[in-house]
Amino acid sequence: MKLKQLLIAMGALAVLPFAQSAMAHEGVELKHAEVDVTSQEQIRRGLTVFTDVCMGCHSATYVSYKGLMDYPEIALTREEVDDLREDHAMTEGLRTELSAEDAAASYGKVPPDLSLITSARHGGPNYVYSILTGFEHDPDGRIPDGNFNEYFKGNRIAMPDPLSWLDHDEADTAQLEQDAQDVAAFLAFIADPHQNQRRVIGCWVMGFLLLLTLVLWRLKVEVWKDVKKH
Amino acid sequence: MLNTIMKSKLFGWVDRRTGAEAIIKSQLTEYPAPKNLNYMWNFGSLALLVLVLQILTGIFLAMYYKPSAAMTYGHYTVAFDSVERIMRDVNFGWLIRYMHAVGASAFFVVVYMHIGRGLYYGSYKEPRELLWIIGVVILLIMQGAAFFGYLLPWGQMSFWGATVITNLFGALPVIGEYLQQLLRGGFAVGDPTLNRFFSLHYLFPLLLAAIVGGHIHALHVVHSNNPEGIDLTKDEEKIMFHPYYTIKDAFGVAVFLLGYCYFVFFNPQAWGFFIEVDNYVPANSLATPAHIAPVWYLTPWYTILRSFPDKLMGVLAMGGSLAILFALPFLDRSKVRSARYRPVFKQMVILFFIDVVVLGYIGHSPVSPTLKLIGQIATAYYFAFFFLLLIVPKFEKTKPVPEGI
Amino acid sequence: MTEKTNDSRRNFLYLAAGGLGGVAAAATAVPFIGSMFPAADTLAASKTEFDVTTVAPGQLTVILWQGKPVFITHRTPELLKEVDGHDDMLKDKDSAAIPEVSQPWMNDENRKYRSIKPEYLVVSAVCTHLGCIPGYKPSAGRKEWGDAVPEDWPGGWQCPCHGSLYDISGRVINGSPAPFNLHALPYKYKTDSTVVIG
Repeated sequence: MKLKQLLIAMGALAVLPFAQSAMAHEGVELKHAEVDVTSQEQIRRGLTVFTDVCMGCHSATYVSYKGLMDYPEIALTREEVDDLREDHAMTEGLRTELSAEDAAASYGKVPPDLSLITSARHGGPNYVYSILTGFEHDPDGRIPDGNFNEYFKGNRIAMPDPLSWLDHDEADTAQLEQDAQDVAAFLAFIADPHQNQRRVIGCWVMGFLLLLTLVLWRLKVEVWKDVKKH
Repeated sequence: MLNTIMKSKLFGWVDRRTGAEAIIKSQLTEYPAPKNLNYMWNFGSLALLVLVLQILTGIFLAMYYKPSAAMTYGHYTVAFDSVERIMRDVNFGWLIRYMHAVGASAFFVVVYMHIGRGLYYGSYKEPRELLWIIGVVILLIMQGAAFFGYLLPWGQMSFWGATVITNLFGALPVIGEYLQQLLRGGFAVGDPTLNRFFSLHYLFPLLLAAIVGGHIHALHVVHSNNPEGIDLTKDEEKIMFHPYYTIKDAFGVAVFLLGYCYFVFFNPQAWGFFIEVDNYVPANSLATPAHIAPVWYLTPWYTILRSFPDKLMGVLAMGGSLAILFALPFLDRSKVRSARYRPVFKQMVILFFIDVVVLGYIGHSPVSPTLKLIGQIATAYYFAFFFLLLIVPKFEKTKPVPEGI
Repeated sequence: MTEKTNDSRRNFLYLAAGGLGGVAAAATAVPFIGSMFPAADTLAASKTEFDVTTVAPGQLTVILWQGKPVFITHRTPELLKEVDGHDDMLKDKDSAAIPEVSQPWMNDENRKYRSIKPEYLVVSAVCTHLGCIPGYKPSAGRKEWGDAVPEDWPGGWQCPCHGSLYDISGRVINGSPAPFNLHALPYKYKTDSTVVIG
């Protein structure tokens, strides 16, 4: 009995510091984005923000035009995709026209591909949302406007305020926040496009396993009655 | 059901040509096991299950994975692309990939519990010393396989983790530089490294399968230890493995699967412990991530390595911390096996478990002077544990061990 | 009494466990076997463009579409005449046997030509018997081909592997081991001279 309690205590001890270090990361606490990766409306709005704004500099090369039709969470029609892709083949990924050299010359850094960005940053969609709505005036006055971001590590970000958040009109706040959340939702979706099916299948699997565990537990108890008898 | 199969004509045909019946009887239906084994004895069968799962998922991943560091677009490479292709385009590729990633961590959880059982109940003592030694070999091969496997996605952590660890070999005098080049296939981690790590990653688990066979054979000769740590001489103290432990193991598998499938289907990254956040960034040989750490299951040894200011000392200590495991059966001479009856040893071994967790936590965290100091103390205790065992039996007043169960 | 109920409970539990275990095994096999079927990007309709004016009159070119060979044939007016006059020799003169031998752009006018523009035939080069590429023998009769072709040879293709015969529109001829016409392809004219297959 004491050993069991000990094991449980150790289990908790073992997990706690890891869990705590996973949650608490240096830096400002991120804003919370209202993201629903099952919402076709939100993901489509996010796609529009992506193609209208982000694709000026960023690619999402693992997202193909065909995928925009095939994924049920986006499900564009053939016509909508044909409009979007112009000359590009269906199987090509979303790529920016901005070359790496031109980007480095204009911004000092090459804008990263965004196919996996929400998986590649702690906080995922919250991070994207916070960055897009995190452009402020530098209180120390050192970093120029448009490059000072509250949530970016070191505060100096090469990406110049894509949604024009800095000093935006009060009346536009709701729309800008919506755009930022929507594109975060889109990016969260395309980082792992099968996630919704995964969770649905997962529910069935867990249900089945609970049943299996129950049956095997009762079978074990039953068969071991022979042993307990002695 | 097994009875019905064994009575069938087909089975008779096979048995005459293989001796299958004798094997099934001696290893399962008439194989005696102690009747008092607790659930800590389930982890061996679980480890075998996870090995099979890893090999299965690995083979199917290998149908699509391409071990090439050739650049494709931006920083993306053929290898990284092939993993994303598995995640997006291959039917159920996402599932097989997540099973493999979660399985790697699950393998170590299960094996660490299995080792912990061995330590606590004295399963490494006479006559099971060789069984323990084979087990340590298994642990080392597992760590190798995991290390090789982690390079394959060619993410930032893959690349830089491999760079750091292969750098370690460079610390060894005389042979270090050659060993490093041998491992890397070049002057830095690159395409040759990736290709050979893929080959070795495929090889090691198959080696494991063979060695696990030897591990089980060695076990079946000396038979299992038990929580009381005593030799069982009477027949009433034993029960046949089938059906009692086959069913208990099956129940254990179901419970394990509950945890495993929770992670596979609902949290495969496990907050960055199973699949690290930085590994979703493609490898960039010109930019080191802010914080390099190995995957959680290698962190204790990473701390031991970093506890020494001298690079060579660190490497030797890390190697030593694994090598000393081989010596355990010969360092601990107490006649009493189970910690239940060894009050001093019990405290030491519990402290050892906590110590390894602390080492792991520190290995995972960014460097800080406080943590480094605690890490050094923890490293000291890690080694002290083994050396103290030499003298503990001399003064430990063991509790009276029961006659039977 | 307790013995009996225990036995039946035990058997039930064995059965239940075995049954659930079997279901689990089968369910686990599904994703693994499924992963071996062609991946989404492999299946994706990729397009191939081709400038048909590069094919000289009477000549044939073989290109690849989705990894499989395709004939582009430039049929002269003489060759086009060979389309008629042997309907009784054809297994499937209207290309109706299976969906793959027909295309939405086929109508009553072009059905015998099996092409959008009669002079350029764009058709699959995979023999519907066992997959070889048939040999091009466009002119009718035995003048050019000798005994290799039957007496009533209407002109078209002859497969070297097992002797299947197709007419100048790729329609399979009676007596051939091949069951169906050469498959028709989804294509359209991007410009007057460029076709896009797929």
